[in-house]
Amino acid sequence: MNGAQHILQAFHHHNIETVFGYPGGCIMPLYDALVDDVSVEHVLCRHEQGCALAADGYARASGKLGVCIATSGPGATNLITGVANAYQDSIPMLVITGQVPSALIGTDAFQETDVLGMTLGIVKHSYLIETADELPGILEEAIELAQNGRPGPVWIDIPKDVLLTETTAAPTRATAQPQATSPDLSSAIALLRDARKPLLYSGGGISLAHAEDRFREFTKCSELPAVVTLKGIGNAGKHSAYNLGMLGMHGSRAANRAVDECDLLLVIGARLDDRATGKLDGFAPNARTIHIDADAAEFNKLRNVDIAVRGDLNSILNELTKSLTDAPLAISDWRKQCQTWRTTGGFQAADNEEPLAPITGPAFISQLSRTAPDDTVIACDVGQHQMWVAQHYQFDRPRHHLTSGGLGTMGFGLPAAIGAQFANRNSTVINVTGDGSFMMNAQELATIRRYDLPVKLIIMDNQCLGMVRQQQELFYNNRESHINLDDNPDFVAMARAFDIPALKIDRTDQVRRGIETILAYSGPMLLHVAIAREENVWPIVKPGGSNKEMIDETRRTAADKKEKIA
Amino acid sequence: MTTESSCTTPSYNITCRMSHEAAALERLCQVVRVRGFRIAQMAVDSADGALNIALTIQGTRPVAMLQSQLEKLHTVAEVKLAAPVVAAASRIA
Repeated sequence: MNGAQHILQAFHHHNIETVFGYPGGCIMPLYDALVDDVSVEHVLCRHEQGCALAADGYARASGKLGVCIATSGPGATNLITGVANAYQDSIPMLVITGQVPSALIGTDAFQETDVLGMTLGIVKHSYLIETADELPGILEEAIELAQNGRPGPVWIDIPKDVLLTETTAAPTRATAQPQATSPDLSSAIALLRDARKPLLYSGGGISLAHAEDRFREFTKCSELPAVVTLKGIGNAGKHSAYNLGMLGMHGSRAANRAVDECDLLLVIGARLDDRATGKLDGFAPNARTIHIDADAAEFNKLRNVDIAVRGDLNSILNELTKSLTDAPLAISDWRKQCQTWRTTGGFQAADNEEPLAPITGPAFISQLSRTAPDDTVIACDVGQHQMWVAQHYQFDRPRHHLTSGGLGTMGFGLPAAIGAQFANRNSTVINVTGDGSFMMNAQELATIRRYDLPVKLIIMDNQCLGMVRQQQELFYNNRESHINLDDNPDFVAMARAFDIPALKIDRTDQVRRGIETILAYSGPMLLHVAIAREENVWPIVKPGGSNKEMIDETRRTAADKKEKIA
Repeated sequence: MTTESSCTTPSYNITCRMSHEAAALERLCQVVRVRGFRIAQMAVDSADGALNIALTIQGTRPVAMLQSQLEKLHTVAEVKLAAPVVAAASRIA
């Protein structure tokens, strides 16, 4: 068996059934082996970035390992954005690239790049294989490493001659990670009991740890008022009575108010990133902090914590639930207060009753949320539409909301939706995108067509880079700079060129029908939604500002009027 | 490796033991740089497939944060932080 065949054997051994790739010179031995092995489904994307982001979407939606494959040189460099995206959001991914033959490494050979060197900062770990004998063992180690602890991408760069070399080496099992001893939670529980205004703050770590069910048991038992990060949306379920929604730059007023007034933050599976906390000095100024995470390097990184607990979130949440079952927290006044804030400071998207009025982003997303089936997976791109989805779509599961949180990768949504559809063959998968993001990976429409994936595409088109325009308006004296996209192609004609049916809507009275039409269609379909160029995402915190200083539409309008009067 | 540094920048001595794999040192140095520190001195020896590295680094961020990031590296077996070097004595000729 040669090196390439060992890779396929490792896929079988680990039940890796679907991989995303693009062939080329130095990876050809692996593609040759694929000819004889039809049990691995290879999805041919149209750009290596599409491969990496599709593998990412597959991993997020399924909870399994995402795998992408490319050749050396430009194949590898094109993967980089997608791999960085997975790294920032801790997505389990195996990346396999061909490399020029061992003897040519370092000679500036055709399609040679120093993949190992250029990717050090965006991988959990990486390998350059030197001999065929070490390949089987490294494959085992890499597959385990990508998924254990805090997950992340692991990259294996394999010279072409190694792929062709026969080896009888056995896949030595990776060294088992030492089982974490059960952490002592007594101090954390005592601090929680001591608090009068405790607040639960959860993030993407819940689903990464496959701890969704334990988390729900804990929230139900504790009845703690809760906020979520962008990646934690869906953690508590859409029916949770105490969920105040997303916090941070575009968070709800209720969530940011609760953070500001709480006396204890119980942070679980989140890293307190700057988009969530705003200016650190003003973040939760009265609160002590308990931080529970799989990664000890996150403790005290941005905020000093009172108690840090590292370990498996499933067992920790189980212990916390047990500790509260017989003696509930006595925080009824605080719960009542948070409920009031939730009523008055949650996200609201008023339906426009004027049928001919332009479509607004929040109202459209609210309608989509009301209409789409419960098992719908939404893969967002990056920009205003991403925040409207985060604010106004009611997610019941975190794996139903795929969003590029850490890297903020425009072009993520379409390939991620492809990956999600392969992971959930019978679910509705919708890519909600903007006109800027859509054009970053539009070539993947061909992948949708090739595999006849029933992915629905919704382009919220404001003919500009809306989030940049909004910040230029609010924080750069309305000096618009290179955000104009009013020369966009005809998206309906473009979709049809890929043999994907499409329709366009631009009035409020067309929204419901448009959504119902694409959802009812059995195959892929695109809905082009024209929205107003001037529309902003509210509320907003100025980048680098404190979450206390949220700007909302009402205040903005009042400030405008005051300026005009002055 | 030597460099000249400001007297006011805190300086630390770190020792690290890691597997002698491709790009091991690059990986270590990259983490030191990205997490906000400069390498002032570095000594490396290898034995039995392992690298033993002694670093003098300078930076204003909490060094414990760097230590925890280095410990996360898959090939790193151990990171030890010596007592902080007195800032006034950190000028290296």
